[in-house]
Amino acid sequence: MKLDLSGKEVINTSPERLWEALNSPDVLTRCIPGCKSMTETAPDHYDVLMELKVAAVGGTFEGKVALTEKQPPSTCNITVSGEGSLGNGTGKASFTITPEPDGASLLTYEGEGEIGGLVAGVGQRILKSVSKHLTGQFFKALRKECEASEAERKAG
Amino acid sequence: MNAVESKTKFVSTDRRVREDRRFVVGRGRYVADIDLPGMLHVALVAAQHPAARIVSIDASRALALPGVHKVLTGAELVEAVNPLMNGLETPQVRRFPLAVGQVRYAGEWVAAVVADTRALAEDAAERVKVEYEKLGFVIDAEEAYTPQSTPVHPEHGSNVLLDKTFVWGEVERHFAEADQQLSFRVVWGRNSTVPIETFGVVASWDPWQEVLDVWASIQMPKYSDQIARSLRLPGNSIRVHQDVDVGGSYGVKRGIKHSVLVGHLARALGRPVRLIEDRLENMRAGDAHGPERIFDVDVAFNADGIVRSMKMRALDNVGAYAGRAPFQLGKPIGAIVGPYKIESVQYQAISVTTNKTVQEAVRGFGQAPTNYAIETAIDRVAETLGLDRIEIRRRNFIRHDEFPYLIPSGSTYDSGDYHTVVDKVLAHAGYDDLVAERDRLRAEGMLAGIGIAACLEPSGGNSSFEPLLNDKNTTSTWMDSCRIMVDALGTVTATVHTTSSGQGHETLVATVVGEVLQIDPDLIRIVRPDTLSSLPSNSPVGSRMAIMLGGAAFKAAEKVKAKMVAIAAHAMGVPIETANYVDGTVRTADGREMAWEAIVNMAHRQFHALPEGMDPGLASDHIMQVPTGVQLPKDDKVQMYPCHSFEFHLILVAIDPLLGKPEIRRYVIGHDCGTVINPHIVRGMTLGGIAHGLGAALLEEFAYDAEGQLLTQSFMDYLLPSSHEVPDVEIVHHCTPSPLTVLGQKGSGESGYLGSPAAISGAINDAVRPLGIHFTRLPMRISAISDAIAEAGPTMTQEEI
Repeated sequence: MKLDLSGKEVINTSPERLWEALNSPDVLTRCIPGCKSMTETAPDHYDVLMELKVAAVGGTFEGKVALTEKQPPSTCNITVSGEGSLGNGTGKASFTITPEPDGASLLTYEGEGEIGGLVAGVGQRILKSVSKHLTGQFFKALRKECEASEAERKAG
Repeated sequence: MNAVESKTKFVSTDRRVREDRRFVVGRGRYVADIDLPGMLHVALVAAQHPAARIVSIDASRALALPGVHKVLTGAELVEAVNPLMNGLETPQVRRFPLAVGQVRYAGEWVAAVVADTRALAEDAAERVKVEYEKLGFVIDAEEAYTPQSTPVHPEHGSNVLLDKTFVWGEVERHFAEADQQLSFRVVWGRNSTVPIETFGVVASWDPWQEVLDVWASIQMPKYSDQIARSLRLPGNSIRVHQDVDVGGSYGVKRGIKHSVLVGHLARALGRPVRLIEDRLENMRAGDAHGPERIFDVDVAFNADGIVRSMKMRALDNVGAYAGRAPFQLGKPIGAIVGPYKIESVQYQAISVTTNKTVQEAVRGFGQAPTNYAIETAIDRVAETLGLDRIEIRRRNFIRHDEFPYLIPSGSTYDSGDYHTVVDKVLAHAGYDDLVAERDRLRAEGMLAGIGIAACLEPSGGNSSFEPLLNDKNTTSTWMDSCRIMVDALGTVTATVHTTSSGQGHETLVATVVGEVLQIDPDLIRIVRPDTLSSLPSNSPVGSRMAIMLGGAAFKAAEKVKAKMVAIAAHAMGVPIETANYVDGTVRTADGREMAWEAIVNMAHRQFHALPEGMDPGLASDHIMQVPTGVQLPKDDKVQMYPCHSFEFHLILVAIDPLLGKPEIRRYVIGHDCGTVINPHIVRGMTLGGIAHGLGAALLEEFAYDAEGQLLTQSFMDYLLPSSHEVPDVEIVHHCTPSPLTVLGQKGSGESGYLGSPAAISGAINDAVRPLGIHFTRLPMRISAISDAIAEAGPTMTQEEI
């Protein structure tokens, strides 16, 4: 089934710093819900290992993430594909970062995902809310990361 | 009451269903109760894509788990087994138990994991890593029918398995002559029967006897033959144990791929192997979905409501493999005009493959969808002409005195009295009161409608659709058998040569044999020998067992009786014609008699006292040919099933316009299946069939998303009727005996289901008619009903409703 993945978030950090965070495997590993590891296989290409649970279905998913058409520090395309014994998913999204007043940044993302396998079959009724929840978790963690480093920077 | 019923001792009487006792006390013996020493368990790795090339399968992490014995892939299996049987001549549509090279639907089995326990097998299955390369796919039947669609089987060249147009009678002339025409499309959604017991099979190979023993939850004609062909074994190396109780089937328990897989594994591993599907495996890959059919119908009719001719195009989506499913377009040809005198018919039957789960036989074998289309046509004609929907049916019905009645497609209906059944139902229901109740509900602001369906249940299954749809098929028999043995102590044992999935065959045979021999049916033992000890049988399909097994039991019992009379007449020195058999004793005209025990003793021990040339012992068997089934098709016509039961549904449905939830307020069915052998069994069949039809009409659907994923794989999403939805059903009984059967019986194994979807659709359409809405697709979900009502009448007032 197809999922719409669009939204916007204000993060209290500069576009440059947000850009850096979004391009850091360490930050992403900490922010992506269920992400166990992220290994760079080529510039801007990563293997990821995730553990996720949707409805009654939980499992390990191995995936690939690629960042393309990067224009620092404002736009970037991201493609994700993952497959595990219990399901698979692919997604494509584009990010745009624009400056906000007070040194903050607006992150606009627009994309589409497709979910297959058991996760889609059994979890479809709650997939939309689950994806919303996971996206929310991601931004909460990202905001924390950015704001913590911002505070650290100011303190330092 | 007819002549036969009134003089029967046990047939049609209120006797307990003998199987009930063991089920009620929990002593049924199902496949899950078969526990063999050293038995291994199977779990499946399921495809995640509707179509993909299998690039690689890495089983190393699964095999690393202690207790995992084998991970079998399609590439390995294909070397050892022959493809599963196709009904049509489509040799390039090859099907194996596991996907070979390519997956063709989401959920298809890619690998089988064998382990010490099922739980371990499931865990190991999650560790099998399959690399796929996604391929193009097709989900929609109309798209699959187009030449440019992606073929599910590229070797076959297209998705079309069958595209045949029949013209029976002068269709074009009748269309030209008729006063009016109308056209419509209705769609029957993909549902099935989903019995609570999923499919299961246990197989064990004995290399010293060279026999594969099989226990299965099966309802499959020629089951052991199919296993033997696929496993490349002689037919007499397969021993299917038919004394396994089947926890519901209604057509779909056809687990041939499961059985071939498990049979192969049992041989390869030298251990008994068991596969019992879990719910997900059953729903997405049990290959047990039912017909999914688009009907385009044109009818030509006169101003008085007489329907002259019909053109029907039926496009059926069979899913990813051919199997026997395309024949479900063939069986309805035997009742293609329903109970009506439609003079001519054009019928285009199209079967296409898509990347959906495989279709299997479901109760009625395609007849319920066809009845839904025919009954919609009759309702539409009535609506167009402003005629009463019951009156228009009466005008078109075949009359009682017109039987036997030959329909355009070549079948002769045996008997019926449709007008009388309708009269009895209307009288029972108080039709005027029912109409008044509908109008009262409407005045209260509810949507309310009356649903009517009149339809036939062809019964006595003979499989004539096989040669009709496949020129190379020359099947003209579909026999069933019974053997009766009277032992030296005088007790009687009779046999059933197939599994039973709840149809009450033991009660059937005991009642019929008891009736003929005039002995207490409860004293007759009924056994189900394994297939190596069995006479030929074609399993309980096609609503046939009352006719065929009942017929075989009757004939076999008559042979026993005739031999007993001959022995006694000889012993008492009277001509056979003057000897009279009464309650197991043979009496002479001059008042002498020879009792059951004495005759039995003579048969078993006193050869010297037997008539000259008579064999000793007391046993008989009968292999029965289907009544009327003797000819192959000619000019695209054939006699399909011999007997035709009739059902007439009359229901009242109320819908709260704000909720959109249909509620059945009254359900009356008139049912005529000829002589009823056991009233409890017929009643149970009818009630279950109506509940099943309610599911098809309102709730149940194997729904797919546009990406080819099955969205209804569990009972959270695939909704079954419950006690909340199923109404009280009032059954009005009528009996028009069949002249073709031993007791006048007809089939009832599909009763209720064949007309209830049409009746419920008719009622809901009657309810929303004031809003100008037609629902043309089953299931009619609550959401679709409420959306349509909301769209049609945002400013609706009570007066307008």
